[in-house]
Order: sequence, then C-alpha cells, then structure tokens
Amino acid sequence: MSIVQTLLVFVGIPALVFLLLAAAVFGKSMVRQPNRYRPGKAWDFAPRWYVAHPEVLNGPAIGSTTAQGGASGEW
Amino acid sequence: MSGEVATTRTILGSGPKGTEDPTSPFSASQLTRLDEALTLSSLESGLPFSVYIGDLAVPTRGSAEELFTRLTDDSVLLAVSPAQRSLHIVTGPKSALRLPNRTCALAALAMRASFANGDLVGGIVNGLRMLADGAGHA
Repeated sequence: MSIVQTLLVFVGIPALVFLLLAAAVFGKSMVRQPNRYRPGKAWDFAPRWYVAHPEVLNGPAIGSTTAQGGASGEW
Repeated sequence: MSGEVATTRTILGSGPKGTEDPTSPFSASQLTRLDEALTLSSLESGLPFSVYIGDLAVPTRGSAEELFTRLTDDSVLLAVSPAQRSLHIVTGPKSALRLPNRTCALAALAMRASFANGDLVGGIVNGLRMLADGAGHA
C-alpha cells in the first residue's frame, strides 16, 4: 500500500465516519433553529398579543373592564 | 399554510403582522398550535382567551391587569414575559365566576413546569387546555 492509500484508509475513513455521525447528531439543529427559548436567555422580540379566531365569538373587541382574579407564577 | 394561519389569528399588540416575518418568536407550526389551542379553548368554554407574550412593566401583575382592562368582562388573559420569567393569568368579573383562582393557579403551575423546560408554546397550549377544562362548557 502506498502512503496515500494508508492515509485514506486509516485517517480518511474514520474521519468520514466521524463527520457522518456528527452531522446526524447536530446537523438538524445547526441548519434550522426556530428561535428556541431557553430559561434565562434574553427575549428580544416585540410584544405580541394573540387572540382567538375573531369569528368564533364576537371576539375580544377592545373594551373596558377590570381585573377580578387569576394567578401568577415565576420560573 | 402560513397564509391560513395569518387569517385565523389576530394580533392586537404592537408587533408587525404576518407569519413569514423573521421577527416572530414562533415558527409557523408553533403558531398553528397556538392558534388551534386558542380557538378551541375559546369555542369550548365560551370565554374569549387571549395570550400576550412580551415584556411587562414592573410590577408585572399590575401591568398584566392594565392590559386586561382593554378586554371584555368575560375575557381571560394569559400574560407571559419570557425575559422576566413571569406569567400571569387574569380573569374579569364574568370569567372569574367560571374560573376560580384555584383553577387558575393549577394552570399556572402546569405552565411554569413547561416554561422552565424552555417549552413556551407547549406551556401555553397546556395552560389554555386546563383553563378551558376548568371553565367547563358554555
């Protein structure tokens, strides 16, 4: 075996296998990471307010009311 | 698909509209889940639910209650501030009759568990489901 063949077999093939495994493990998250939230990470998105399908009910039209109860929590 | 999502939800906040925009904190499939949960829980319980996601002024509870004053008596507001790691469920004069504070506290507990794992949408969807179940049918 020439030195090139030796290198290909003993370095090239293990490197290829390593790269394939690394791609299988990390590939998907490296290509696309949809704004994953992690606790403690900064949140620099504009405030958003989502309401249900407007036609389901009369819709929470901008009205005026007062808060009565509820619950709070922190994580 | 994303066009359909845009028509079935409304954004009251100051954020730009449309799902394609990269400033959206959620992907299109996450928005679909959120929209489905909001629509179903509002339809089942008859209470208009809404979800606010963003920073709240300190004190956060007062800020969430101030947001709530823009809604109706039977509304339920879920205010989540990921940066401040706090969540508030606010009920009004009519919705509080259907949703006692104990039910809200249980939903808040479940949401906290999901949020602590970094699953914002999952927590909101679970919270909405628990609140709708607690309120019962319209």
